[in-house]
This record gives sequence, structure tokens and C-alpha cells, in this order.
Amino acid sequence: MNAEILDKIKEILAVILDVEKQGITAETYIIRSLGAESIDLLEVAVSLNSEFKVNITENDIFLIRLREQITEAEEQGRDTGKYLAKTLPFLPRSRIDEILKDLDGGPVLKVKDIVCYIDRAIK
Amino acid sequence: MLKRVAITGIGVCSSLGFCEEEILSNLKKPGVLFSASSFDDGVAVCPVHDFNIKDFTGRFKQRRYLNRGSQLCVASAIEAIKSSGIKQDAWSEAGLFIGSGPNLDIGGEFPEVKKGEIDHDDLMALWMLKFLPNTAASAIATYAGIHGENLTINTACAASMQALGEAFRKIKHGYLNLALAGGGDSRLNPGGILAYRKAGAIFSGSKNPDNASRPFDTKRKGFVPGEGGAIFVLEEMEHARMRGASIHAEICGFGSSMDGYSMTAPEPSAQWGEKALLSALHEAGMSPEDIDVVSSHGTGTLLNDAMEVNLLHRIFKDHHPHVIALKSWIGHIAAACGAIELAVVLACIKSNYFPRIRNLDEACHDKINFAREDKKIAGRTVLLENFGFGGQNSAIIIRKVDN
Repeated sequence: MNAEILDKIKEILAVILDVEKQGITAETYIIRSLGAESIDLLEVAVSLNSEFKVNITENDIFLIRLREQITEAEEQGRDTGKYLAKTLPFLPRSRIDEILKDLDGGPVLKVKDIVCYIDRAIK
Repeated sequence: MLKRVAITGIGVCSSLGFCEEEILSNLKKPGVLFSASSFDDGVAVCPVHDFNIKDFTGRFKQRRYLNRGSQLCVASAIEAIKSSGIKQDAWSEAGLFIGSGPNLDIGGEFPEVKKGEIDHDDLMALWMLKFLPNTAASAIATYAGIHGENLTINTACAASMQALGEAFRKIKHGYLNLALAGGGDSRLNPGGILAYRKAGAIFSGSKNPDNASRPFDTKRKGFVPGEGGAIFVLEEMEHARMRGASIHAEICGFGSSMDGYSMTAPEPSAQWGEKALLSALHEAGMSPEDIDVVSSHGTGTLLNDAMEVNLLHRIFKDHHPHVIALKSWIGHIAAACGAIELAVVLACIKSNYFPRIRNLDEACHDKINFAREDKKIAGRTVLLENFGFGGQNSAIIIRKVDN
């Protein structure tokens, strides 16, 4: 994982969510643990755009359509993991499997997902 | 049946301090109150020192949307809630009445405007919240869980007094038992100072900032801008007594009116200002003779003070209440001036100590009993008045209550 990107994202999250940067890791849940609301994600998107000069698609980077996409895959009788790998191409396959096992715990979005999105967008 | 209304909590962030004791101590201390503005040394200002909103809110992400006036307002609300001793769940039914001003810190918010292009890298998604008038109220409601009747009032320098008056009436007429009311404002940024300087309203060209504010003096030349916040807990009297609250004062009457005369200057005969004062007296069931102390608007501008002395003379005739002018101590805090002046007045009536009008050498009216010296006075009933740009007039009467 790109350490420089991770560090900048931690900084942005700390400022916007008014939390200590040291308390944030790649594994921190952004909604489940840090309590981010949609208004906060909107600010995060604007800050990421300004910091990394990349276009941010909020539905993708914040996994907003994740549960809808899972339902779509099921309705179409397709393999959910493969379907998500296509709709969320910035996530490694191992992360998608992890997400699918974690759905009952609440919103799955982690700091590392944003790092992956930015890393891919920059390249 | 009409209810009586008690003030049972105070939160204040002022240049004189953050609590009653600090305010009193600084009123008695000889010392420099005003300083030259950091970006315009001809202009005297009266800032609040050592203020950090985070010390009041703790972790509170909504903080990012608060301009400085809103920060002072929110911090004051948090302190008011604490000082009242009212438990968290009771705030759900409470009302919220806030006087706020415009954010004039245009240069600070948009530092690189060129050809009208205001977008820049640090601009937040919801940057507009720093300019919306009800952002402080929204943050206070979020913090305290307030869901009752509410108003955000933007009537220039009468705003926070009107907020107090409207809250008072909601409780008096039984719509609410409990409300937060007051305001916060700051215009000490380059945009605010530029606005005042262009309007010719502030004293400019001073070598000694401490002499710049001189309400009711014949040599007065304009006001000194200040900043701050003050919020009060207003409570129905029996509600307050039942829970054994300490009662700082009772609000007895309120009045407001509009000049309908000029966008900025007060109507010189003060006939409509008089209407506001008489309404407050009428609502309080008092006559002018019942007033012990008048906390004047006293900006130190030529027009306001000339209007105000005529008004006071006409209302009080041969009765001579003690007239104080707190802007000579704390500057003119625009939309929040009424609330902060009330906070200072409450500290004064508690200790029976009223400060002199600073820099008043030669009074512009010889029939008014101006506070020429710091004085011990057992003043129990105080009339406070504020007038604002746009011809806004407001007056409120408070009375000391023995607990």
C-alpha cells in the first residue's frame, strides 16, 4: 500500500472528522468507527480531489452502491465476487472477499479502500 | 395566564473575560482594553483573547463550518447550558433564539479571488455554511439536542436583544418553558473593518486606541469594533423555582420597532426608538421612574449618541437614572452587542457595581445622569437599549430577583 497516500488520507480524515490522526490506520472503518456521515464524505471527496488532483466518483470511492451491486449480481445469477471486481475495479480481489464476509457488521468502508481508489486513479 | 421569565444560566465569551468574576475584575482593573488592528493600525479594535472553540466543544466536527462569530456564539451556548444545571434530556423541548450577523471575512474565506473566480483548493464542499445566518443555531441544536420553537434574527445591532425579547415572549405566553437566547458576532477581519471604515462608522486615525471609544462625549468620532458571544438560559419562573435554580434576573418587558427612515442613520427625533422603549415599559408594567440604570446603546458615533440623548431626556424627564455605556469597555459587538451588554449588566447588578463611561470628558447633553465615575449602586431594574443599521430599535427591561 502506498504509504504516502495513506498518510495524506489520514490527515484529511482527521481534520474533517475532528479525530486524532494517530488513531486512524488503514484498517479503520470510516463510517462504522469514525462515524462519518454523508456530509462528511462530501467534504472528504472535495479534499481528495484538491489534494490528489483526480476526479472522485463518490458512489465508487465510498462503496455507496455496494449493497445494490450485490443484489444486482444475485438477481442476475452471477458470482458476487466477480461482479464486484468488475464494478469496483480499484479493490483487490482479496479485499472483496473480506468485504463479503463483513456485511453483517455494518458499513464496510475502510481507509485502505480509499487508498486503493486514489492509487489507481493517480496511475 | 401570563408567565414570568427568569434568566437561569449565562455563557459569555467577551474581551473582559469568560465568566462574571473575570468581567467584574477586568471592569475594575486599570489597563488597556483596546488595541490597534493588526492590519490597519489607525483602527482600534477590541478582540477576545485566548479563545479556542475546541476548548468548549471537545470533538465536534460541525466546528469546521463555524465562522468566528458563530464560534463565539456556540461556545457561549455550551457554557450557558452547563451553568444552568439543566439535564440533557430537558433540552429536547427547549427553544433557541439567536441573533447573528453576516460573515464579512470575504478576504479570509476567498484569499485569491481574481476576476470573480472564487473557487480554490481549500474551499469546503459546504463552504456556504460559513455564510448562512442559522449555522450557529444549527450547531447548537445538534450539540444540545434542541428541537423546539426557534428563530435566527439578523436585525443588525439589535439582533441579539431581539432574540432575547422573542424568547422572553415565547415563555411569557406559554409556548415554551425553556429557551436559549443571545448571539455571537465578530467583524474584526479585514472585510469587516473595511466595511465599517468605508461607511465612516468607526473611529480611525487614533494614536492611542484606548481613547478611541468615547460615547456621549462632544469629541466622539465613531465606535471601536469588538467581538464576542453571550447566550442565556431563559426559563419560566415556576419551572426555575421548582428545580431550585439560581435566578440571575427576571426579564420584565421588551419592545422593538423600525424607523422606516434611513438604511443606516437613526431617525434623529427618535420617535420610533421611543416607541420601542415605551413598549418595553408598558409590557413590564413600569413607569420611567421605576428604572434605576439605563445601559445605553452609546456607540460613540455622532448620530447615534445625539439621537439617544434626546430620547433618554424625553422619556425620563426629571427622573435621572444612572446611564452607563458599556461599548466604551467592550467595543461594539454588532449583532451580539445586546447579549454581551446584558451579561455585563448581570455581573454589575449582582455586585451593585457599575462602571463609568470611559473617555467621557465633556458630555453632549447636560440633563442626562451619565456614569462619570465607577460607582456602587443598588440598581435593581435596568433598561437596556440597542439600535441598529436599517433603523432597528430594541429595548429590554430586567430586574434583580432575590433568590
